[in-house]
Parts: sequence; structure tokens; C-alpha cells
Amino acid sequence: MYRMGRKLGLLMLAGLLVVLTACSSNNSSTAANGNGNGESEGKTTTLKFFHRWPNEPRNSYFNYIKEEFEKQNPGVKIEMESVLNDNYKEKIKVLVSSGDIPDVFSSWSDSFAESLVSSGRVEDLSSMYDSDPDWAKTLVQNQLKSFTFDDKIYGVPFTMDGKVFFYNKKIFSKLGLEKPKTWDEFIALLDKLKAAGYDTPIIEGLQDSWAVGHYLGTMNQRMLSPEVLATDYAVGTGQFTDPGYLQVLKYWQKLSSYMGPNATSVNHEATRNMFIAGEVPIHYLQFAELGYLKDKPDLEFDYFNFPQFSEGKGNAEGLTGAPEGFMISKETANKELAEKFVKFIVSPENAAKFQQDVGSMTTVIGAATKENSPPGTLEAIDVIQNAAETTPWLDNAVDASVADAFMRGGQAIAADIETPENVLKEVQAAAAKLKAVKK
Amino acid sequence: MRTRRTIAPYLFVLPCVLMLAVFVYMPLIQNFFYSFQNISLLSGKSSFAGFDNYKTLFSDPVVGKALINNVKYAVISLIFQVGFGLVLAAILEEEFLRKVSAVFRTIFFIPVIISITVICLLFSFVYNPTDGLLNMFLQAVGLDSWAKPWLGSGTTAIYAVIAVSQWQSIGYCMMLFIVAIQKIPRDLYEAAKIDGAGKIKIFFSITLPQVKEMIFVNSLLTITGAFMVFNEPFILTKGGGPGTSSITIAVLMYQNGFVRDSMGYAATISLLIFAITAVLALIQTLSFRTGKGD
Repeated sequence: MYRMGRKLGLLMLAGLLVVLTACSSNNSSTAANGNGNGESEGKTTTLKFFHRWPNEPRNSYFNYIKEEFEKQNPGVKIEMESVLNDNYKEKIKVLVSSGDIPDVFSSWSDSFAESLVSSGRVEDLSSMYDSDPDWAKTLVQNQLKSFTFDDKIYGVPFTMDGKVFFYNKKIFSKLGLEKPKTWDEFIALLDKLKAAGYDTPIIEGLQDSWAVGHYLGTMNQRMLSPEVLATDYAVGTGQFTDPGYLQVLKYWQKLSSYMGPNATSVNHEATRNMFIAGEVPIHYLQFAELGYLKDKPDLEFDYFNFPQFSEGKGNAEGLTGAPEGFMISKETANKELAEKFVKFIVSPENAAKFQQDVGSMTTVIGAATKENSPPGTLEAIDVIQNAAETTPWLDNAVDASVADAFMRGGQAIAADIETPENVLKEVQAAAAKLKAVKK
Repeated sequence: MRTRRTIAPYLFVLPCVLMLAVFVYMPLIQNFFYSFQNISLLSGKSSFAGFDNYKTLFSDPVVGKALINNVKYAVISLIFQVGFGLVLAAILEEEFLRKVSAVFRTIFFIPVIISITVICLLFSFVYNPTDGLLNMFLQAVGLDSWAKPWLGSGTTAIYAVIAVSQWQSIGYCMMLFIVAIQKIPRDLYEAAKIDGAGKIKIFFSITLPQVKEMIFVNSLLTITGAFMVFNEPFILTKGGGPGTSSITIAVLMYQNGFVRDSMGYAATISLLIFAITAVLALIQTLSFRTGKGD
């Protein structure tokens, strides 16, 4: 019996080997003709592309990119897959760590990108920029730093973003309200709106914890000095003992109290629709969402940056927002082709098409024009390009465990089931644990 | 010839044993070793952590909160799925409902075959605070003060999530009970009727003891299910929100593994889940002695 089992085991092993070698020989054959055009000998070269936009209108855009690229490069097949947002975060982490990494894939910036890079499986693209300066010049330069670690550029930024308070101009002018510059003015403004009958003068879909993170990230940046923030945000040195953090959470408690009891049970999309419908006068939105606002042409809107706290030590002109872009696997057999594909996506023509179809902006200079973009886009691009300082989203700025403690805690504060003190303790504990693990 | 005869049966079970070994037992053992490590899924780095993960497990207040939520899940599920499921089955098997019981059976069973994801999306509309079915209904009947942000309030979120599971699973328990009731010999009921027993007396004296086995099976299923529940809080309250008020132990495990990137701790939590469900199964098997009953 035992023998038989071994024989069977051997047989299965042999089978497995056959399958494996079949796979690897396939790989090497693609490697052999991975000279960028993949035309030789009529073999097809397959490029695996994984991105995070299965939702419309982005999905159609990427389908177009895939088809167009295949048409222009005979013999090349793009194997495209996509998963939305949080699920993408989880899946790409597993793929990168398991080594079954797609040739080209999308990534958020900063700490998210850095943690992918730390796997050692992401290609350093510095040479791509150096060897083609004409192409490199087409990108908005201040967006590159979000993908730069140790002076090496690991990604090509594609979308560009910034988060500001959008407000309903009609409501503001009817009540004679001005854009607030300071936190106190902002709170006074919310009180006035409330007195005027807007029960929820500002709202956010707090069921999405990332939405909480967007607020807390900006508030931390405004409140704390850049040095303190840099030390606390870095993995292994974070303590979060500065009293400013507690103050931020207390301010958050105050701000979220204006959002009403329903805020924690709805998502961002729902509350954005409330703003578009004119039910809520103020909403914290990304420039990338400008495209949705044009759905209701009679909505008159403008925006203002996050107001400064009187005791704030951070740059009051700073802008929160981060690019998203593409990375290339270090293990790809077709590096040149992968680079060509990425350059194809961020080419001025395709970026203009993205601007037109999707309505949100790209890092490609000149892709947005008055004709192809929703109103406000060109101004927004100006704001981003000239921002005194750009801060990544909280969940891109700190380690995932600290971000999670902040975001879940912020959500609990808004739901009135947790105190700022306890939440800060959770954050400190998460940072301490990180320190212990990564030392 | 003789050897072949002894080999054959083993060959038949071999695929099953192999599959079990590779997909169940090996991961279980590996998981045990992972629980003593700090693992970052991303950088692929791991280091020996000793009992650190276990220390965190016993000092983490969220673990306690999650377990309490699981216990709430188990108790409420027992009452509704096993308790009311049995009552529902007994009523549907009553003489006067015979003609229409098939219709009701189907209606109650339909939620079981709908995907849980679909159900959760459906209920997120029902629970919507401003234009959800539930709050609109309460307002329509004059109970405005009862209207709540069901999934967004720390006090109601977990119950709102549990309610969805009851709605979905009660039909399953009911079906199992119907099968069990149909197997009860009819002459027992006839004898009871002749002796002058009422419907309630018959239920407690005949139906209940006769479906004891099935009660055991159903309780086992619901309680272990309650300690492994994941989909409902994961989808309805986006991972146990607000804060951690509707988190369950399985969601906590997932979040530590895939959101917070500490796989070692997630492995430790999963061992806790394993221990709890194993002990529960053991207790129930011992106390009911299934299969050896009268």
C-alpha cells in the first residue's frame, strides 16, 4: 500500500512537473521575443495588466486602451483584470507578495506604493525617465515625488487629485456667506447654515472609513508641525504623543456633530448625491469628482481649501491629495513592452481621452482643455500644480495599521461611541506595535 | 491478488485524504506556526514573535467586543432559527395548512438560496436612514421616534446585522425540521388525539422529543455558524462599523490579516476561532450523543 502511495505520489509529481515546465517554457518563449513589438515568428506576447477601475466610465476607457494597444501592436495580447478599491488593495498585496505579480498594475502613491516596493518585486523606472526626457517632461513634475523612494522612481503617476470643500454658491449668496479662512470662521459658518434651516450643513458618508481618513489626514497636516508629523508617520518612529493629535480628534468630534446622526450609516456616493441635489450646502470632495458635479448643470459651486486652526503649526496652504499611477513588475519578461504600454496609457492623446470620457484629471500636461473637461478642472489643475505643499491621503501616508486605527476611531467618534482620548490610545498602541515588529 | 484487494480500498479514500491533508490539515498546522511569527504579507518579511501575538490577543479589547457580538449572534440565532424555525415547521405540518404549506415552504426557503451578497445589498437599502423601507414604514405608521440610522448607530448596528441572518436562515432550519417532523410516525399523533391532548400539548410531548436529533443538528449548525459569521458585517457595515461596534471575530481576523497587514496576529485569532468551534462541537456531540439515541 505504502509503495503504491509513493508510486502515485511520483506520478502526480511528474504531472505537476510537466505542467510547471509547460508554464515556464511558455514564459521563456515570450521572453525571447520580448523586444518591444512581439511580432517575430507570429507568436503572441501576453502582458498581464491589473488595475483598480472596474466601474464606469473608467472601465470602458481601459477596454479601449487594451483594444487600441493590441491593434497597434500586432502579436501583443493584454490580459486585463480589475477589482475595485479596497478589494484591489488586498488583492494586489497578495499578488505582489506571492510573486504571481502582473506585468503592469495600478498603485496608490506614498506609503502604499512604498510597501509594494518593499517587496523587492517592483521595477525601478528611473531609467525610463532618464532615457526619454521628452516624454518625462509631459508629466506634472510635482506628482513624481509620490512614487520616488530612495531617489528612485518606481511608478508613473496617471491621475492627479486634491481635496477641498465644495460649496453650493446659490445657498451661500442667498445667506450672504463668505469662504471661511480659519477653523473658527468655518464653525461659525456651519452654525449660521444650521440656523438657516440646514440641519446638516455639511455631510460625509462616514460608513466609508477612508472618507474619515481624508479628513483626519488634512487636519493632522494643518495642526502639527511637519517635523513632528514626519517622525510620527514614519514606520518605527511613530509615537503620536503630541497634544495636537488629541486636539485634531476633538475638532473632528465637533465637525462630525454637524453631519447628523445618519452620516455613519451612508456611504460617500450617497452624500455626494445629496450635495449635487442641493440638499447639503458643503461637502469635502476630490477634484477627481468634478465629473459627477456636471451631471446637474444648474448646480453652481465653488471651493475653498481646508481652513487653518488658530493653533495650527502646519502649512495653511497645503493641499491633501495624491496621484495614482502604474507600476511595472521586476519579474516581467517584457520590460520594454510594459514600458511602452504604460507610456501609451499616459500619452497626451489617451490622457485627453480619459479627461473627456471620465471627467477627472491626469498628470499629463495639457491633456485637459476647456472643451473636454468639466467646469472647474483647469482651475483645479492650477491649484494642484501650485500647491505650497501636497500631503498624501492618510491611508497612503502612514502604515495601514495606524491608518486603520485613525479611521475606525474617527468613525466611532462620529457615531458617538468612543472618545477622542481612547481613539488616540488605540493609535498609539498600533504605532507601538509597529515599532516592536519592524525594529 | 491478495495485495491488490488490500490496496484497493485505500486507493479509493486516497484522493479524499490527500485533499483533506493539503487543504485542511496542512494549513491548520502551518497556521499554528504562523501564530508565533510577525508576518508582513507585502514585504514578505517574517520574524519570530514568541508569544507576542497571544499576549496581544488577550489584551486586545476589540477581541472581547467581537466575541460578545458573536455570542449575541449565537443566542439570537438559537432563539429565532432553531426555536421559531421549529414552531414554523410544526405549524406548516398542521392538518389545516396541508394544502398551502408547499407554497409557504417555498416562500420561507427562497432567502436561503439567494446569495448573501445580494441579500446584504438589499438590506442596506432597507436600512437606509433617509429613504430606506424600514424607516419609511415606521414613519408611515406614526412611529417616527423609532426610526434610526440602523447600521450607523453603535447600539443598533450589530442587531440590524443579526436580523438579516435570521431572515435568511430561518427557512433552512425550518426545512430541516419539516423533514424531521414528517418522519414522526402518524399513529403517535392519533393516539395523543384520542387521549384528548391539545395542539400545544402534542407539540411539547410528541413533536419536540421526536425531533431531538434535528434540534441538535440545527443548534450545532447555527452556533458554529454564529462564531464564523463574516459576510454580513463585512458587507452591511463595511467591516464591523461604526468603529468596531458590529465587528465579529472572523471580520477582526480578516482585518488584521489583510487591512492591517499583520498575518501572524490574524493566524492567532483564527486559532481562537478554531478552538471555540472545536470545543462547541465537542460539547454538543457529548451532550446529545447523536446517532446513538433511541
